[in-house]
Amino acid sequence: MKLLRILVLMLPPAFVVCGVVFIVIHGRADVKPSVQLSTNNVRPRAVEDTTQAAIMRDYSSAWQALNVALVNNSTAPLNENFTGFALEKLTQRVKDQRGAGLKTRILDHGHHVDAIFYSRDGSAIELHDTASLETQVLDGSTVLHSDNAQIQYLAVMTGAADRWQVRVLESVPAAQH
Amino acid sequence: MRKLLLYAAFILTCWFAADSARGAELRLPENATAGQPMTVGTSGQGDAVLYLVGPGQVIKHNIKLGGNVQIKGEELHSAGRWIAIVRSGSNPQSQAFWVKPAQPESLSFLAKPSRVPVAQHNAISGTVFLFDKFRNLVIQPEPVSFNLAVNGAGATQSITSHEGVAWIDASSGPKEGAAQFVASVGSTTVRRVVQQVASEPCSGSLRMHVAQHEKDMIVVQTDPIRDCSGNPVPDGTIVSFIETDKSGKSTVDARIKKGFAQAELPASSEATISVASGVTLGNELHLGAGQ
Repeated sequence: MKLLRILVLMLPPAFVVCGVVFIVIHGRADVKPSVQLSTNNVRPRAVEDTTQAAIMRDYSSAWQALNVALVNNSTAPLNENFTGFALEKLTQRVKDQRGAGLKTRILDHGHHVDAIFYSRDGSAIELHDTASLETQVLDGSTVLHSDNAQIQYLAVMTGAADRWQVRVLESVPAAQH
Repeated sequence: MRKLLLYAAFILTCWFAADSARGAELRLPENATAGQPMTVGTSGQGDAVLYLVGPGQVIKHNIKLGGNVQIKGEELHSAGRWIAIVRSGSNPQSQAFWVKPAQPESLSFLAKPSRVPVAQHNAISGTVFLFDKFRNLVIQPEPVSFNLAVNGAGATQSITSHEGVAWIDASSGPKEGAAQFVASVGSTTVRRVVQQVASEPCSGSLRMHVAQHEKDMIVVQTDPIRDCSGNPVPDGTIVSFIETDKSGKSTVDARIKKGFAQAELPASSEATISVASGVTLGNELHLGAGQ
């Protein structure tokens, strides 16, 4: 009887713990990752304050969309935030993952972004991103690969009607910089 | 004796466990390149599945462990960080590796503006992003040649790309016309046209005279209007004629037509007429009684 009482008392905290664990495991892809932007090394022109804010907002949205797309094997989240070659490649990646029965979960711990090129006409910006990512490749719930790494990316963003979209996103070895 | 056998059994168990864990070890190339064939070495025995998870694609092969797996060049498109996974039984092995972009084969060339006045310092900007044939950004430095010319006369500048981008600021030439703005890397060339148009009228060339003088009307007409490089200012450019007399000021905005602009102003016994276009002031005419 006493054991039953203890079990009943333990149920609510257990549900809370399970909920938190579920959110941590499954909910992280829905969170916008933090993006810190530096424009000290940008050429040939300075980046306006409003553009900096827009780049941080939209680059973060793009990573959020990428993480959601890769964990759910859905191409829909990519369409608003990516364009051009980046959209083509990431769409193919999602389709291939789906075909191979895999999915990728990225726990995104944030991005330190350095703007390195901003075109004279303000239509394109190139970013060098140091991303802290925990990557898991899964088959169903089986983890086939897991790593925690700082990965360098080069991203080219171009202005669209109401936002900046990622046109190129390419991981590069750290030795390249 | 029994202890010795126990130790031996323990060592054998550990050895077996270590060997099993090493069963699907991966050997990956250090310098894989997009579009080039690649060999993945495996150890162990039995059947397995090899997954290559790349930035823009996933490759899956059923393999036999213990041999080399050939990945064809046409399979490997994406440059960047890949993850190779060998799955046999319940013990997948994985490793990250890098694939470099291939040689540049296409350029994304942004040339701005499409129309520019002649003889303007650094008024034209050219930006090139370099891609290989698989649309990977080519990050290794490459010499990019920019040439801006009208009727074959112009200048060439070579810029080394950095992080996949090369850019220049160029001045427009002295002659109007369709300037060919060409960016080249190796044998790949992309051409844009920048229309160079006459600049603002030159103050020396903005001169007018009285073409007709009637009882109640004066017709004033300019000489052919040119910019300071001698190019005719395009038709449609606005020229303002201002007549000032004791009754006040009359202004007529006329467009250049066939190189000239002209206006009809009210006749006045004594007036000053000035002409201007944009920020350029021309000559003044002083009309007195009897003129």
